[in-house]
Amino acid sequence: MIWAKYKLDNTVARASEEIRLWHTEKGLVEISKNTLAVSVRLNEKRKGYVFHGQGKLLIDAIVETQEGAIGKSIEKELIEPFLLLGDTERIQKDLVETSESDFEKMGYKSRQGFVDKAEDLCERFFRGRVHSHEDFDEPHGLIFAFQNENSKFDILVASSSKLVYKATDVVFVSNENKVVLKSPGEVVVSDNGKSVVVQKGRSVLIK
Amino acid sequence: MSEDLKEEMKKLKEEMANLKEQLRDMTEKERERRHGIHIDIGNRVQDYVEDVMEGVAEGIHGELEKSIFIGPRGVRIIRGEEPFGEEGEPEISLPKAAEVMSALGQEHRLGVLKELMSGGKYINELQEKLSEITTSTLSSHLKVLEEAGLVVQEKVRGRYLITMPGRVAYKMARRLTKFLERRKEE
Repeated sequence: MIWAKYKLDNTVARASEEIRLWHTEKGLVEISKNTLAVSVRLNEKRKGYVFHGQGKLLIDAIVETQEGAIGKSIEKELIEPFLLLGDTERIQKDLVETSESDFEKMGYKSRQGFVDKAEDLCERFFRGRVHSHEDFDEPHGLIFAFQNENSKFDILVASSSKLVYKATDVVFVSNENKVVLKSPGEVVVSDNGKSVVVQKGRSVLIK
Repeated sequence: MSEDLKEEMKKLKEEMANLKEQLRDMTEKERERRHGIHIDIGNRVQDYVEDVMEGVAEGIHGELEKSIFIGPRGVRIIRGEEPFGEEGEPEISLPKAAEVMSALGQEHRLGVLKELMSGGKYINELQEKLSEITTSTLSSHLKVLEEAGLVVQEKVRGRYLITMPGRVAYKMARRLTKFLERRKEE
């Protein structure tokens, strides 16, 4: 397994200001000032980061149909460490050196405490999930892995305006005018205003 | 089975086939063409996304099957309404009904719903249409409508959208008003 060869950087950085890691009209992921960041490397190349601080995830998992909007906004505070894979070059300039107090603020006794937690997260994410990485030298988007309350991962895959979000109880896919929303008891598929809404024991075809 | 129902079934099947095809487009074809949501971090993640889409497609099929009843009298497709038992329409919670009707029972809130019937709008666009009330009053009305589930706000862009129940509620208010006005004239 190629990803077993990943390693975390020796240096840990912190955000010098609030950083928007991803932002489109459908959602955003941002981290606050002083969020800790350690980069994930494979073959000496940076492939992403593990962050820990105060962050925010927003996704408008809403489908507009001719018969009205379905769904709701998903808003989550990112207070647990999370992983980002993809092109992260643009955020380099907003990362600065850390001091011991930065780790204490986040509840760690030392730098090693954070690195151990990041290591654990990567182990759990990569194990059995990714076996190869062809073409990853030229990534086309971002992958976020957020730990959820069941100690599993909510995954967000984003590329330009397209996104796939999969959490415990919701799947949301948005690709320009094509949208799929699956939430408890309801599935909505919409393509250019033409939609199928499937609820428990009931279906509605909207043209 | 009547010809109408046969035709209905045929159309529904065609729609499902089209939508299934489009779902496939969103995964496999995009990957093949390499300008969609293709992210090359490894086959397993691609497989994962495809599994998710497959799960959604299976969910749709499963629920659609539940929506099409095949009984001794033929096929019945439930579209847009709940099937009721022999007792007829179930009783509603009166406090809940009062809460919904209360959200509707204000001229400017009905005005907001009317404006949103033509599409999502930002608060400044609504403000232009409802210039006789202040922004803070408009915000209060939007909050009431949101709490009643008649309106939803996109948190990223900030637009307000009318929900399916919101459209039903506005149409109901319009029809009831017209009906009562006609009765008065008679």
